[in-house]
Amino acid sequence: MKQTGIATKIICLSCGIALLLMVVGCVIVVQYEIILLNKMTDIKVDEKENYYIYRLYNEKKSLTNQLTSQVNNLITLMKSVDVIYEQTFNFQIQSLLMHPMIVAAEFCDKTGHPFLVAWKSKTVQIAKTFPKTLQLKQYLVINKKTEIPSIEIIRIYYTIEKIEQQLHVLKKQEMNELHETRTNIYKQLNGLFLAQSIGSFLVVALLGATLIFSLRWLILNPINDLMNIAKQLKKLDLSVEITTTTASHELNSLAQALGQLLEGFRKIIADVKENANMLSGSADNMTDIAEQLSNHSEEAESKANIVAEASVQISANIHTIANSVEQISDNMEAVSSTSDFLFNNINSVANAIEELSSSLSHVGERAKNGTKIAEQAVFLAEKAGKTVNTLRHAADEIGGVSEFIQRIAHKTNILSLNATIEAASAGSAGRGFSVVASAIQEFAEQSSRAAKDITDRIASVQKGTFEIENVFKDVSSIIREMNESSESISFAVIEQTKAVQEIASNALEADERARNINVSIEDLSRTVNDAAENTAQVAMGANDVSTRIQGVSESISFNRQISHQINETAIVLNHLSGNLKCMVDPFKVSPQLNSNNNKKE
Amino acid sequence: MRKINNITSEKKKMPESKRQFCSFQMAGHHFGVDILDVKEIIDEVVLTKIHHAPPEMLGFVNIRGHVHLVLDLRLLLNFSTKSIDESSRVLLFHPNVGESFGVMVDQIGHMIEVEESLIEYRVSEENISGIARDFRKTELEKGVCKLDDKLLIILDASKFLNAVELKR
Repeated sequence: MKQTGIATKIICLSCGIALLLMVVGCVIVVQYEIILLNKMTDIKVDEKENYYIYRLYNEKKSLTNQLTSQVNNLITLMKSVDVIYEQTFNFQIQSLLMHPMIVAAEFCDKTGHPFLVAWKSKTVQIAKTFPKTLQLKQYLVINKKTEIPSIEIIRIYYTIEKIEQQLHVLKKQEMNELHETRTNIYKQLNGLFLAQSIGSFLVVALLGATLIFSLRWLILNPINDLMNIAKQLKKLDLSVEITTTTASHELNSLAQALGQLLEGFRKIIADVKENANMLSGSADNMTDIAEQLSNHSEEAESKANIVAEASVQISANIHTIANSVEQISDNMEAVSSTSDFLFNNINSVANAIEELSSSLSHVGERAKNGTKIAEQAVFLAEKAGKTVNTLRHAADEIGGVSEFIQRIAHKTNILSLNATIEAASAGSAGRGFSVVASAIQEFAEQSSRAAKDITDRIASVQKGTFEIENVFKDVSSIIREMNESSESISFAVIEQTKAVQEIASNALEADERARNINVSIEDLSRTVNDAAENTAQVAMGANDVSTRIQGVSESISFNRQISHQINETAIVLNHLSGNLKCMVDPFKVSPQLNSNNNKKE
Repeated sequence: MRKINNITSEKKKMPESKRQFCSFQMAGHHFGVDILDVKEIIDEVVLTKIHHAPPEMLGFVNIRGHVHLVLDLRLLLNFSTKSIDESSRVLLFHPNVGESFGVMVDQIGHMIEVEESLIEYRVSEENISGIARDFRKTELEKGVCKLDDKLLIILDASKFLNAVELKR
């Protein structure tokens, strides 16, 4: 049941929120109460504590008073007696210790030192002084000066521990009671919270149920009925009945209005359908008639067109002939003048060619000369190369010679040295010879140096000649190439000369022919001019006929266009009526009962 | 006997107060020997090797029918040995220096004539000769001659053969 969705969702949501709010409120109230309770308990505890402190103070005061009065009584008693015995002191001190709060007591003489003391351990102990183990400083003290000669001071140590303990126990009991009470209250509060939650949940559930029930009964059912009707209308079914028996006034009036609207529509659609049918029939008829008309006129037009075209073609042809003849006449004139020009040109060409022929023969001679010169140059270059080669060999030989000179120089050097040695061994007799020997040595050295110099230079000469040789080789190859080129040139020139001579003879013949042509062309030109004039007259007559036939054709064409328009209009009408029928057809206008509502195209 | 010869030759030259040396080079150093001790200088040497001889003896050489022993002066002076090349020469000594022998030198120089005053002789240490320390070296050089641009070490040619024996 998904139709109930909206209402149920709204209800559920609002109920949930209400429940949540109630629970939250409940929680807040309970928390607030708990806080209040805690505060109250705290105040109570404080009060109790104050009360016990105050009470302890009072107890202490009363005890002190009581003890003081007891000591005073004792003093008074001792004053009243004349003689005091030692036993009396013992008795008195024991009687003092009988009080539950007194821990110890001491009697001091005039010097301030104690002469009799008593204290409680398990039983009452009496001695002259306190044992050192006894800690008396933690107890409260009462000092009392007597006016009895034998006792200067009575000192009593007492405690309020027991009272404190009693009070503490009391306090504890009360506190426990208080806490118990608080715990009880907590429990009650929790119960209260639970009860409130359950109660609120029940209330909300009841409310929700009521709402759902009433909504479904009052609103959802009528809306469902309307939805069913709408579904049928969606299918273009106008034969639906609307029964208005719902509980709510607003929906009732809505249904009634819908019913009235539907009925109106039904009537209108029925009328439209009938009319559309009639319209469609008449449009069909009209289309047929228009088509026939159109066909007839088309036929007529096509025939007229054929005639018109033929006449136009004839006219055009005649015109073309006239034009052509005129053009021929013009051309003939141009030809005549051109042939004159041609005649002149051919004349000058013939002259020019003769000149060309003579100059070409000059060029041929020159080229031959060039070839000869190149050959000579090659010969010379080769000769130079050979000469350089010889030079190189000569240089090599010179090198060998200089080496030889150097060797001789070395030998001479050794010889001179030996000569010097011999001279020296000859003593003073060899003095003169020694000088000669040293001179020879010097010459030998010089010649050695000269030979070395020559060798160096010859080496550079050799290098130079080698380079020259290479260069000559390059030069001679270049000249050879030149030679080849000039040979081919001279050959080409010879060929050309022959060709030019042939051309020259042809040109002379052409000159003669051209003169003949010129004369005959002038005759032809005159004849053509006459023909042109006659043809122009024929063309004008043909043009007139063509224009008239065209006028007929145009009027037929106009008729055809009109009938075509009529045809188109009829077709459009037919189409429209068809459309209308199509639109109206889907509506069901049930003939069974006359009742309710309709809708829509 | 040689010493006597030397003394006589020195005495002969004393009044002239000039002496001549045959100079040569070896390993870049300049050396000289008395020109009177030199018989001849030879190039284009054809050596005949002596097997089982000490390395200082390079071989025999035939000069105009006479056979001479050739020593390697480089080894005698404690230089490293060197192969024979174009500038190598052989100095042949006079018979009064030693019997038919010569030395191989790297390059021959000029004949040099110097004043006696430019020569400084070694002090002869005959007193300590028994100690015999570095005997060979001390005996081979006789003195030093001061030239314009260099010092010429003067060698005693008569000690060469002895030096070969001592080096054994």
